[in-house]
Amino acid sequence: MAYHATLATARSRAVVAESRHLLLTVAPGALWIIVFLVLPSLYLMSVAFMTNGPYGLPEMPLSLTSFTQLAGQGFLGWSPGNLMTLGRSLWQTVLSTLLVVLVAYPIAYYISQSDQRWRPIMLLAVVVPSWTNQVIRTFGWMNLLAPGTPLAELAEAMGMIAPNMGLYPSNFAVTLGLVYNFLPFMVLPLYAAFEKLNLSLVEAAQDLYASPLKAFWHAVFPQTLPGLLAGVVLVAIPAFGMYVIPELLGGGKGMMLGNLVANQFAGSANWPLGAAGAILMLIATFIGLYAMRRIGKRLGGGEEVVI
Amino acid sequence: MKRGRFHKGLRGFWWLTLGFLYLPLIVVMLFSFNASNSAASFTGVSLRWYRRLLGNDAILSALGNSLLLAVVSSLLALMIGTLIGYGMYRHRHRKLGWLIVLIYLPIVLPDIVFGISEMTFFVKINELTGLLSPGLTTMTIAHVTFQVPFVALIVYSRFVGLDPTLFEAAKDLYATPRQRVQFFMLPTLKPALISGFLLSFTLSLDDFVISFFTAGPESATLPIYIWSAIRKGVTPEINAIATLMMAAVALAALMSLVLTRRRAAS
Repeated sequence: MAYHATLATARSRAVVAESRHLLLTVAPGALWIIVFLVLPSLYLMSVAFMTNGPYGLPEMPLSLTSFTQLAGQGFLGWSPGNLMTLGRSLWQTVLSTLLVVLVAYPIAYYISQSDQRWRPIMLLAVVVPSWTNQVIRTFGWMNLLAPGTPLAELAEAMGMIAPNMGLYPSNFAVTLGLVYNFLPFMVLPLYAAFEKLNLSLVEAAQDLYASPLKAFWHAVFPQTLPGLLAGVVLVAIPAFGMYVIPELLGGGKGMMLGNLVANQFAGSANWPLGAAGAILMLIATFIGLYAMRRIGKRLGGGEEVVI
Repeated sequence: MKRGRFHKGLRGFWWLTLGFLYLPLIVVMLFSFNASNSAASFTGVSLRWYRRLLGNDAILSALGNSLLLAVVSSLLALMIGTLIGYGMYRHRHRKLGWLIVLIYLPIVLPDIVFGISEMTFFVKINELTGLLSPGLTTMTIAHVTFQVPFVALIVYSRFVGLDPTLFEAAKDLYATPRQRVQFFMLPTLKPALISGFLLSFTLSLDDFVISFFTAGPESATLPIYIWSAIRKGVTPEINAIATLMMAAVALAALMSLVLTRRRAAS
C-alpha cells in the first residue's frame, strides 16, 4: 500500500516537474508573443468599433461607423472610393496570382527535369532576387518604367501610353510589381510537388493512349495540386494586403487595401476606419488558411505548409 | 522531335524569366555607376554617388540603426526562440496546438496588420504610462516578435532530427544538467543557433513595413531612409546604397553556401 502511495506521489511529482519544465521553457516566448502581438491585435480590432475622434484617434462611444465608412459612407453621403479600392485589391490579387501560376508552373517543371546537379543552383537563382529589400526591388522597376526608358518608349511607340509619360504609376505597374515579387513563393512549393512526381502514372496514361494534354490533366496536374495551393496561399494573402508596391508603382489611382489602411494611421486620418480595414485583411487571411487546410486534407496530403 | 521542341521552348522561357527576375537589380547596379543625374540615360562610369554616401550622415546613422537593431533583436530572439524550440521538442507528445497556433501567428499575420497593431498598442501604452515612445526600443520589440517563431522552428527541427537515445545516453553517463547543456546541447545545437541568428538578422535588416510603423523620428533604418528618399524624388545615391546592400546580401549568401558545403563535405 505504502509502496503504491509513494509511487503515485513520485509519479505526480514527476508530472508536476514536467509541467514546470514546459512552462519554464515555453513561457518567455509565449508571453512575449501574447503581450506584443496578440494583445496589440486585439486592441487594434477593438479600435475598429470605436468612434473617430477629432485627431483621428479612437474615442468612446462604441459604434459601427468605421465599417459603414469602409463601405463608402461619408460626411457627404455615399461615395464608391473605398469600395473601388477593395475591388481593386481583390482584382489585383486574383490577376497577379493567376499570372504568377502561369509563369511559375513551367519554370518549376523545367527545374525538376534538369540535371540533378543544377537544380539547387537553379532554385537559388530564382530565389536570390527576393533577398534584396522589397523597397529596392520596387525602386528598380521605377527606374525601368520611368519616362524616357526603353520600355516606356516602346510602349509609347505602340500607342499604349501618351508621349513623355512613364509606365508608372499605373495599375499595370502594380500587377507587374506583384508578379515580380511573388514569383519565387510559387516556384518553391510547385518545385517540391514536381520533385515528388510519380511518373509511372504518366506512363500508364501514355500506355492507355492518352493525348499529352489528357495525360497532363489526369496524371500530372492532380499531383501538383497541393504545391499549387500552398503557392496560392503564399502569394494571394500577402498580395491582398500589399503596401509597398502599390504605394510606389500605383500612385493614387492604384491604391490597394494596404494603402487604405496605412493612410488612416498617418497624420490626422481615421484610426477606426484603418482598423476596420485591418479586420477585413485578417478575415481574408484566415479564410485563405482555413480553405487551404480543408482542401489539403481532402487531397489526402494533410501536410503542414512549412514556410 | 516534338518533345525536343517543347524542351527548347521551356529553356527559352527559363532564360526569359531569369532576365525578368534580374533586370531591375541590374538596372539599379548599373545606374549606381552613372556619371549623370538622370535616371533615363547612362552617360559614363563614375563613383561620385558612392563618394557622396560617405559624407551623408543620415545614411550612416540609418546604417548604424539597422545594424544595432538587427544584432540586438536577433540575440534576444535567439534566446527566447531556442527555449521555445527546446520546450516544444521535449513536450512534443503533449497537446501543444495552442502553442503552435501562437508560433505561427507572427508568420501568417499580414505585415501591415502586424506593424499597425504594434504601433497602436505602443501609442496606447505610451499614453497610459509614458513608456515605449516610438524608437529603437519599440522597433526591437516588434522585430523580436517576428523573429522568435523562425528561431523556434529551426531549433525544434534540429532536435527532431537527432537520435532520441542521445539524450538518454547523456543522462546515463551521469552528466549534470549543466554539463548536459554545455557538452551536449550547445554543441549539437550550434548549426541551428547559427542559422537561426543569421535568419533573424537578415529578416530584421530586410524588414521595411513593420519597422516603418514602429519607428520614431530618430530611428530610421536603411530601408526607411531609402523609402523616404524615393518618396521625396528619385536620387541616384539610392542606387549606390541599394547596390551595396545587394552586395552584402550576395556575400552573406555565398558565405552560408560555403559553410554548408564544408559541413556537408566533412
